Amino acid sequence: MSDLWRRCLERLEGQLSAEELHTWLMPLQAREDASGVQLFAPNSYTLDTVRERYQATIETLLGQLAGQPLVVRLDVGSNAPRAAAPAAKPAPAAARSAGAEPAPAPAPAFVHNLDPHYTFETFVEGKSNQLGKAAAMQVAMNPGRAYNPLLLYGGTGLGKTHLMHAAGNLMRERNPDCKVMYLRSEQFVGSMIEALRTKNMDEFKRRFRTVDALLIDDIQFFAGKDTTQEEFFHTFNALFEGKQQIILTCDRYPKEVDKLEPRLKSRLGWGLSVAIEPPDFETRAAILLAKAQERGVELNESVAMLLAKRIRSNVRDLEGALNTLVAKANFFGRPITTDFAEETLRDLLATHAQAVTVPNIQKIVADYYQVRLQDLLSKRRVRSLARPRQIAMALSKELTEHSLPEIGEGFGGRDHTTVLHACRTIKKLCEADARMRQDWEQLIRILTG
Amino acid sequence: MIPQLPLALRWPRRQRFEHFHAGVNADALAAVQALALEPGAPWVYLHGPAGSGRTHLLIAACQAASAIGRRVQYLPLASLADRPAAIRGVAGSELLALDDLGAIAGEREAEHALFDLYNQTRAEGGALLFAADAIPTQLGLGLPDLRSRLGACTQFALKPLDDAERRDVLKTQAAARGIELDDTVLDWLFARYARDLGALLDLLDKLDQASLAAQRRITVPFLRGFLREAGQAES
Repeated sequence: MSDLWRRCLERLEGQLSAEELHTWLMPLQAREDASGVQLFAPNSYTLDTVRERYQATIETLLGQLAGQPLVVRLDVGSNAPRAAAPAAKPAPAAARSAGAEPAPAPAPAFVHNLDPHYTFETFVEGKSNQLGKAAAMQVAMNPGRAYNPLLLYGGTGLGKTHLMHAAGNLMRERNPDCKVMYLRSEQFVGSMIEALRTKNMDEFKRRFRTVDALLIDDIQFFAGKDTTQEEFFHTFNALFEGKQQIILTCDRYPKEVDKLEPRLKSRLGWGLSVAIEPPDFETRAAILLAKAQERGVELNESVAMLLAKRIRSNVRDLEGALNTLVAKANFFGRPITTDFAEETLRDLLATHAQAVTVPNIQKIVADYYQVRLQDLLSKRRVRSLARPRQIAMALSKELTEHSLPEIGEGFGGRDHTTVLHACRTIKKLCEADARMRQDWEQLIRILTG
Repeated sequence: MIPQLPLALRWPRRQRFEHFHAGVNADALAAVQALALEPGAPWVYLHGPAGSGRTHLLIAACQAASAIGRRVQYLPLASLADRPAAIRGVAGSELLALDDLGAIAGEREAEHALFDLYNQTRAEGGALLFAADAIPTQLGLGLPDLRSRLGACTQFALKPLDDAERRDVLKTQAAARGIELDDTVLDWLFARYARDLGALLDLLDKLDQASLAAQRRITVPFLRGFLREAGQAES
């Protein structure tokens, strides 16, 4: 660091709060030369604020410290030497900041951005996701021919992105020349805006249409973005006609995404759409054991079962609980037992349990079926109320520790046999009726997510 | 007589790791230190009530990481005007510390921006450190994708120090400023003013200047007079 700048920061430390200092000034990097001091901000957001609020103070201070007026120049970038030894900088973020300002290099060679950790081998299969896995494998073995597009849909943190990368990785393994491009939807939007701004749409089109497989994550974020949808529509058509593989993910069945163009929705249905459901208990436990093994952590089955029983929302929450548990066990030098898990994750487990109360279930079910809460709790027995009421009762049995009589009490003083009947009815319906099962799982996801 | 004004010196509140009184939060401290110093360490999500040391740990992480040449930025979400612009604008750091995460709950634009930032930072191998007053599921976030991603972080509940530990901190901090705080003064402060350490340390800064100006030791009567003038005394 420039000595002058270090001294300037020390002075500023006495004048500004630590928060201000670390938000705006510490991220700056300085380079001194004969003509003055050049300060590099990591991004233009910081640059603008520094220029507006602090530049004058900095100039005065630096001038005082140097004993002569100094020119202070502000830029976005990094003072890391550009040509010399890029390998010396460990983090990719450093390279990014260095490259943030100059215009992007012309026509870069094709770079794969698949995450190598996401493979089919590391994917834990269960009832909830086996269809999705099978479909993704098929597509990878036979890109552009098996199912096109392949659309994986389901709630957050259930493994859609993992399957998508796994398919891409397998394609590359079977054919190293295969060009697979993975993008999050916002990157697609960002590239398009950039291309429009720089009047470079031809390059944009070429980039996305010359790949062998295009993987776009979370297309629900295309909703309401008309120009993006338009462009994606054309990209889709070009790829489809060229028999290039398209794999997409969405957080729900695309027909249910508002503000998505009908013609796009219809095309999304041309191939195969597979739902990824929240993992069941056994799969959750298996995921935890697999993640622990991946990390070289010893996790016994009873602890995995404890976490799997209590955290049912999504895989990321399981992962977070495992991370926290491992960090604490390492720190305190304690083995991971069920007691230790109960003790260290008490808050976390409590909040997962506490979010689900009978009144909460009633409210969410009423919302879901668009009936009024007071009708749901009333004695009226029309079908449009009776079914949601039975679902709410069954959910109460499934998700809370309340007894049947307590649940009956919570539903306007009904008998416990009524609750029992509701639980049995719903169970049977879920087995027989896909729509019902979907509602049930969606509600569990909402309540436990 | 015109009171003598103290020099306009501000004691920077010492917010480095070595000034963090870990107490029961030693595990959180260790995880934040690892994140600040070791590339590739697990991302950390801290939650706890005001005065439990969230900001201190974030600032300390920034300080320590920049001391070893990593590029870092601290982002106090509650006090920024245009949060979506801030979150979208802060690329380019190796470590980003985001404070007061609850401030974006329900702000659709900002939540989306953070979701993007999270994904981008993951993809590029950077690191994020979060602090909030509650766990991710209780922040009131509208975007489930963001909520679940935050849930994947290593989480620590920060607990405020107990009274005895707070006394120690205040005494040490006072001693560093050359002031003596005796137990009667501390008893009075805890009973009448506040128990939140952040608020107490801020008060200490002001008291330090006032006692310098008045050239008086800090006693209960002095304290009472000072707070009455400042309009903060509880009746």
